[in-house]
Amino acid sequence: MIAFAGRRLAWALVTAVLASVVTFVLFWTIPDEKFSLAWRLGGAERGNEATRARAADKYGLDDPLPVQYERLMKEILSGEVNCFNGCDPTETNALSQPESVRAAFIEALPVTLSLVAGAGVIAIGLGLWLALICVRDRGGRLDRLVSAAATAAYSVPSLVLAALLWGFVAYRWELLPLDGYVPLTENPFEWFRHLLLPWIAAALPFAGAYAQVVRASLLETIGQDHVRTARAKGLSERRVLRRHVLRNGLIPPMNIWGLDFSHAFGGYVLYVEVIFGLPGVGLLTAASLFSLDLPPIIALAIYLSIVVVVASALVDIAVAYLDPRIRRSGIPTT
Amino acid sequence: MGPGRHALRRFRRDRAALAYVVVFAVLMLAFLAAPLYASLVAGTTPSDNHLTEPVGVNGEPQFVVSTDGVPIGPTWQPDFFLGADQNGRDLMVRLLYGGRTSVLIGACAIALTVVIATPLALAAGYFRGRTDSIVSRLLDLIWSFPALLLGVLLSTVLALSGAQIGPITIQAGAKVIPMTVIGIVYVPYLARPLRGQVLALRPQPFVEAARAGGMSSPRVMSSELLPHLWTTILVLTPLLFANAVVLESALSFLAAGVRPPEPSFGVLISAGLDNVVLAPHMLIAVSIALTLFVVSLSGIAEGIRRAFDTQAVDLVHGQ
Repeated sequence: MIAFAGRRLAWALVTAVLASVVTFVLFWTIPDEKFSLAWRLGGAERGNEATRARAADKYGLDDPLPVQYERLMKEILSGEVNCFNGCDPTETNALSQPESVRAAFIEALPVTLSLVAGAGVIAIGLGLWLALICVRDRGGRLDRLVSAAATAAYSVPSLVLAALLWGFVAYRWELLPLDGYVPLTENPFEWFRHLLLPWIAAALPFAGAYAQVVRASLLETIGQDHVRTARAKGLSERRVLRRHVLRNGLIPPMNIWGLDFSHAFGGYVLYVEVIFGLPGVGLLTAASLFSLDLPPIIALAIYLSIVVVVASALVDIAVAYLDPRIRRSGIPTT
Repeated sequence: MGPGRHALRRFRRDRAALAYVVVFAVLMLAFLAAPLYASLVAGTTPSDNHLTEPVGVNGEPQFVVSTDGVPIGPTWQPDFFLGADQNGRDLMVRLLYGGRTSVLIGACAIALTVVIATPLALAAGYFRGRTDSIVSRLLDLIWSFPALLLGVLLSTVLALSGAQIGPITIQAGAKVIPMTVIGIVYVPYLARPLRGQVLALRPQPFVEAARAGGMSSPRVMSSELLPHLWTTILVLTPLLFANAVVLESALSFLAAGVRPPEPSFGVLISAGLDNVVLAPHMLIAVSIALTLFVVSLSGIAEGIRRAFDTQAVDLVHGQ
């Protein structure tokens, strides 16, 4: 188990480093002077050749790329990269002081964690519940009805759902807060109220998908020999379902949950947080994208990729802990 | 009778799937006929604004956008069928043009995905060994990053460096950017299942026979292995297509795809959100259109899967 965890974390590290190299090279290829990464990292010192030369001298822009890469990564990881106009996306004051992107990211992370974890719990819980309804009534009318509902839920893009929920429930009907976030430790009820709509918008499509995936997986397990043996032993249907079907049938969907969980940090988080005005890492990233503030975009891309890679490694380790077969097969492919 | 024809027969008997095909076909026709609708029915273009013009509703003249800045709602008549947007543009015309743009981007992106993913998968599964491990690691790397984040970053870079790549000049906001980005992002979602299939086929006698008969590697891949992959490609493509259109709308929403005033689903959602109090019909119209499109495509995908009777592929929406 420990060997597996070590291997998985090592691969996570390699992935993160590769991703940072790719990000670095990508942004380095931007030729337009006005937007060139080198230029922007040189701060406001752009303009004529003389200032370019001074900036190049000061920031080492003519150094070999590996040296520049190393320096950039050091700056990003030690939190020396600043947002040009301050990192608070809700603050439109252009005169605000430059602020460390790392500090802003760390401040925003709990908001995003609340969103992603809550949405994950809702999606998995709802999906599991719907799948169990289907499995108990397999082939019946209820099964077909719930399956159809799951397909429908899965097909509504969460962008559309988020836009509709915010536009109507929060903005037009004023049933829930318009934007903002309240920490759980400060006021649990307000925390819940602010996150309820974002959770629904993010979770519903996933719940629909999970209901189908789990249903398929449970139905496959239910046909296996060990389940028949369990029934033949005279175990109650409830016990068979809980101990023999659920335990094995939940392993395949778990990989998908893990992938979705880690992808969430660079997926729906971006637009859900923008729509609901949640001051999380998604809003931070979107704000720096809107203002084309390159150094924070690169720093945020690297921070986000670290979060994604670590989250997916942790999930894989958790899955391997639950399913011993995976441990021996080396690095999982998902 | 081949498996393809067998599947087609089953698909034709599948009422639910056929219903989705009808919905999909109607939407596609409407999107494709957007210029016809604009010039013949509505008599306008997606960018013409009619802010100060009166429009007759039930015989009574009304301003397209009232003096308080409220755009007219659905009139259910040829001009301004779905009402107007904040600039007094015909919403139905914009919606059709937007759908056209989004669908075009999605379709080209997925075509690109198929063109890149299939040879990669064939090479990895056929040569195995080092080729396979390089290709697989590359796919794993792309796969381990969320499609949207990757898309946003790639779009930003392409839009900024857009000035010139060799002889091709790309303008910021060009449709080629989201097309390319989405096409690349989805490569692992298709290449990974295909590679697995090629790996399973590789040791089979018919492949060895072809090789022993002196067939060159590219020919073995294209004429012996490729025909076995069409089913998987056919099952996965509609789902990927739906995902691509959704990804396009998310990218455009985040200002990293199609840019206004050019309409697309994402641009229209963004505009709908901005005007949700004064003109809720804008958001509702685009939401219904996009949802119907995605629902019909996943219905078709499900039907194709049933027709081929393959296991559900764990393709979760890569947003």
